[in-house]
Amino acid sequence: MTKPAKDEIHYILLKLHSLTGIVPVGAFLVIHLSINSLRTVGVWPFQLAIDALNNLPFLILIEIGFIYIPLLFHSLMGFYIIHVGKTNMFRYRYQRNWLYTMQRLTGAITFLFLIYHMGTTVGAKLWEGKHYFEAAPFLIDILNGEFQTWQGILIYTIGIVSATFHFSNGVWGFCVSWGILIGKNAQRNGAIVFAAMGLGLTFLGLATVLEFNMNPVSVEATG
Amino acid sequence: MMNRKKKIVIIGGGLAGLALAMKFCERNGEVTVVSYQSLKRSHSVCAQGGINAAIDAKNEGDSPEKHFYDTIEGGDFLAHQPLVRDMCFQAPAIIHLMDRMGVAFNRTGEGHLDFRRFGGTLYNRTAFAGATTGQQLVYALDEQVRSNIHDGNATALEWHEYLGAVLDSDGICRGAVIHDLKTDEIYTLPADAVVLATGGPGQVYGRSTNSVVNTGAAATTAYLQGAKYANGEFIQIHPTAIPGQDKLRLMSESARGEGGRIWVPRKADDRRDPNKIPQNERFYFLEEKYPLFKNLVPRDVASREIYDIVYNQNMGVDGDPMVYLDLTHKSREFLDNRLGGIMDIYTKFTGVDPRDHPMKIFPAVHYSMGGLWTDYGPDQNGLIDHGSPRNQMTSITGLFAAGEADYQYHGANRLGANSLLSCIYTGLMMARGIMNYTDSLEKSVDDIPSTVFDDARNHWKTRFKEIKKMNGRENPYQLHQELGEVMLANVLIVRDNKSLEKATDEINDIETRFKDVKCLDTSDWANPSPSFINQLFCMIHLSKIITKGALLRDEFRGSHYKPDFDLNQPKDFDPHEYIEYLEQKQYGDISEDKFPAGHLDYMKRFEENNIKWLKTTVAQFKDNQPDITYDEVDTSLITPRPRKYD
Amino acid sequence: MRRRTAASKGRHPKKGVALPLDGEVIHKTMTDKKITFKIKRQDKPGSPSYWQNFQVPYKPFANIISCLMEIQKNPTTKAGKTVAPVTWDCNCLEEVCGSCTMVINGKVRQACTALIDNLEQPIALEPMSKFPVVRDLQVNRSRMFENLKKVKAWIDIDGSHDIGEGAIMPDSDRAKRYVMSECMTCGCCIEACPQFSLTNSFMGAATFNQVRLFNLHPAGSMNKEERLDAVMGEGGITDCGNAQVCVEVCPKNIPLTESIADIGRQTSWQFIKNLLVK
Repeated sequence: MTKPAKDEIHYILLKLHSLTGIVPVGAFLVIHLSINSLRTVGVWPFQLAIDALNNLPFLILIEIGFIYIPLLFHSLMGFYIIHVGKTNMFRYRYQRNWLYTMQRLTGAITFLFLIYHMGTTVGAKLWEGKHYFEAAPFLIDILNGEFQTWQGILIYTIGIVSATFHFSNGVWGFCVSWGILIGKNAQRNGAIVFAAMGLGLTFLGLATVLEFNMNPVSVEATG
Repeated sequence: MMNRKKKIVIIGGGLAGLALAMKFCERNGEVTVVSYQSLKRSHSVCAQGGINAAIDAKNEGDSPEKHFYDTIEGGDFLAHQPLVRDMCFQAPAIIHLMDRMGVAFNRTGEGHLDFRRFGGTLYNRTAFAGATTGQQLVYALDEQVRSNIHDGNATALEWHEYLGAVLDSDGICRGAVIHDLKTDEIYTLPADAVVLATGGPGQVYGRSTNSVVNTGAAATTAYLQGAKYANGEFIQIHPTAIPGQDKLRLMSESARGEGGRIWVPRKADDRRDPNKIPQNERFYFLEEKYPLFKNLVPRDVASREIYDIVYNQNMGVDGDPMVYLDLTHKSREFLDNRLGGIMDIYTKFTGVDPRDHPMKIFPAVHYSMGGLWTDYGPDQNGLIDHGSPRNQMTSITGLFAAGEADYQYHGANRLGANSLLSCIYTGLMMARGIMNYTDSLEKSVDDIPSTVFDDARNHWKTRFKEIKKMNGRENPYQLHQELGEVMLANVLIVRDNKSLEKATDEINDIETRFKDVKCLDTSDWANPSPSFINQLFCMIHLSKIITKGALLRDEFRGSHYKPDFDLNQPKDFDPHEYIEYLEQKQYGDISEDKFPAGHLDYMKRFEENNIKWLKTTVAQFKDNQPDITYDEVDTSLITPRPRKYD
Repeated sequence: MRRRTAASKGRHPKKGVALPLDGEVIHKTMTDKKITFKIKRQDKPGSPSYWQNFQVPYKPFANIISCLMEIQKNPTTKAGKTVAPVTWDCNCLEEVCGSCTMVINGKVRQACTALIDNLEQPIALEPMSKFPVVRDLQVNRSRMFENLKKVKAWIDIDGSHDIGEGAIMPDSDRAKRYVMSECMTCGCCIEACPQFSLTNSFMGAATFNQVRLFNLHPAGSMNKEERLDAVMGEGGITDCGNAQVCVEVCPKNIPLTESIADIGRQTSWQFIKNLLVK
């Protein structure tokens, strides 16, 4: 190809932004919400899951390689994308245009939420050096505390709704950008399916929040 | 021979201009296309129904020869026959070329080109792309030219206006004076040849089916510079258009080609919902009067009949001067597929869906058969020599005309779907002739002293300076409207000498008032006012050509209908009788009893009339007036005879 | 043919009235009603813009263009000041040339199909904001035309001489192409696109639609890769944000979002091919 490399890089970066939104970032969101929802079943399965994750070999490398870098990349590219566009949803009041703006807004909100969320959980855990089986009781205590205040609940509700919206609408966007959903009907049907998925994820997340709020139980480290 | 590429300037980016630009680039020439606005927006995009070519895709026995005959008869024998014949024989190749360039022509079940019927023929001969064929053809040619621009073979000067030709001391055209419509700069473009592909003059009538740019100003400027203008009085009135405040929007003849029927309620002033009027209470007047061609009689015939129904019989819909064009018997799917473009236009501008309700339509000024007089070069057999430098050349050497701006192809009345053909045909055909023309010149444009160009530029600079100084009481746009009203009221479907004389006076009056025009805007950036005043000046002169031509031509031919000179063809007349009559005459034994009563008389009148009037009107600018003379028409291939469509 | 008794008696209608061509006849009901306009004007590129109010007499079936023509005939503001007539672009007046795009009451559309009866007054007219203003309502859309060159929106033919029929094509393919080829480069999709700005290099829906149009043609598809390459860079297909306003405002109802998604698919394959095959 004779094109300037700049163009090729641009294409690859934006394609990667789209792709990282699905895997690993989106996939992580789904797994994260699913595992956390174990809390609604009982605190013991929840603790078990956290123990399992915190005892993975090379955990920090996995986290950096599969979560933090892709997430950071996705976020930075996302801010570039927000910077490039200029919403006109009040002038052209069409559903898709509203979703376009929401996608950007929820992306930014989710980013801010993640700073908070990671700061109070993973950040604290690393700061305090709580590894392996010590992590679960530490984290559960933090969460129990957070969900007792209305501010905490509000922050998590906004964060979870933003993230699930951004993800499910993003999957739709991915399917359109990569040409998986082409026709008008296909795009509409896809939107319905992904909206249902988004609602499901939101339900999982909020149910978990509710459980923490109504049932704050501390645990002892396993073993 | 010159060591450089041959350079031409093409004025106009419609079908003719683009076709020539493409062909000339292909022949390794250098092209500048000057366009009043962005390419892709020329008036050719308004053509709807299709383009004719006798490919005989429906196995009806059609042939280019029949296409030729229909075109000549449709034009009431006023067109030069060898040229028209050549065009009709080139038509199939032109359609295939356009198809190869990606035009989305409708197709048959097997994937070949589909054809439909149009007026003035009994064959399915019209290739079409929905109901926006013109747009699709322009885009295809535009794409080819754009590719040439991309490759550096051609240049487009968009938002530039042609002001006049640069003539050297021998009266040879050596370039064009161009006006940049944004910066207001006026400069010259030296060229080996200049081609006017500037379209028709519909704006002379104020409102027509034509676009805003169709002022005819470029062709008129050529006339004012000494070029001949031919057959100006032959203005086609299209039978079916929707009236509007700013323009009259065309409802394509293809609506009838696809089965549309024209009718009015049998009872005048019947105000029932048209869908509730039963079949036997509808007057399908074209079908009743013309059982053979039905709704697809040529345009001049259909327009006259509608005019008659509305004004003489007072049978217009709801008492208004309109008739129904009915497609409601066709399925929505069929209409969307084949006529979608015009269905949308009608719905958007009237708020009524023509798929459910009959359209209300009336005739409107549509096309000028006349235009700049151009030449053609026959070979020793009397057929067209494509390499002849005379092809499409105006009476000014080096200045050519193509498309609607010339006069040669449609005689006294154009058949539907022949205009796109004639535009592309002229554009393609003339390229070789222009190449040869530049070789034949003794002096090349490079040898012309620069003072020639300076003088031309200064002339127009002064002219525009003067226009900007005009500070009278008349609003030019208002004056234009009044000019259009005069033309519409007096020089339309039905003409008589009294009204034409009146029109002449009124035009002279407008010309006097023109001197008192105010230039509404004197700024020097993107200012349309001075240009418009110059165009108005041209339109006034053009209206004089049309009106005088009409006034002097005391006959009824094609679109030029003067009831006072109607030869009153007997109802049961058969055109073959005339051929027989001519044969008998040749052998000197005309037998009166062989023809039904009155027929011989009629044929004699017809023959006499042809001797007097089967001629090209040629207008030349003299003493501020058109000076009219008449030229012979080449009728060497088909004997002129009375037309008959019932 | 013709010239039956009645036709030959043809006379002009009463003096002064005239042909319906005049439009007056169907518009018998003239009233004193006025139409009020608020027009954003700008004398030249870079100079400040300003608003002026105008009033023109109401006529049924009037559209924006016919009202602007009225202003030309009497270029006086509502306040009574004589000014230079408003300049705007238009040509065909039947929505096939694409010239007269402007922002009418806040939304981009063709001025010719904007009928006064369907608009709220005062009617606000503005030039499109995504293209440089030339003067008043005129803008310079050359960026769109340049994009046509960038994506080679044409079919490379061997020559314009007679070399026989074109490729055979199912009518359903033709129908698909036809809808796309109705694009008149009017700029509505671009004006309404939140991703397109005066300063960035985004190509916009119309351009991607052209790529799809030509890639669908049997001969055009021979240059498919070149066209796809042209939209796989900055300003290309990846810069689309899927706001899908383009398809809502397109006056020709072109399935622009379908074209975008299809080009998304084609470029994705092309990318994978470039990565794995070449």
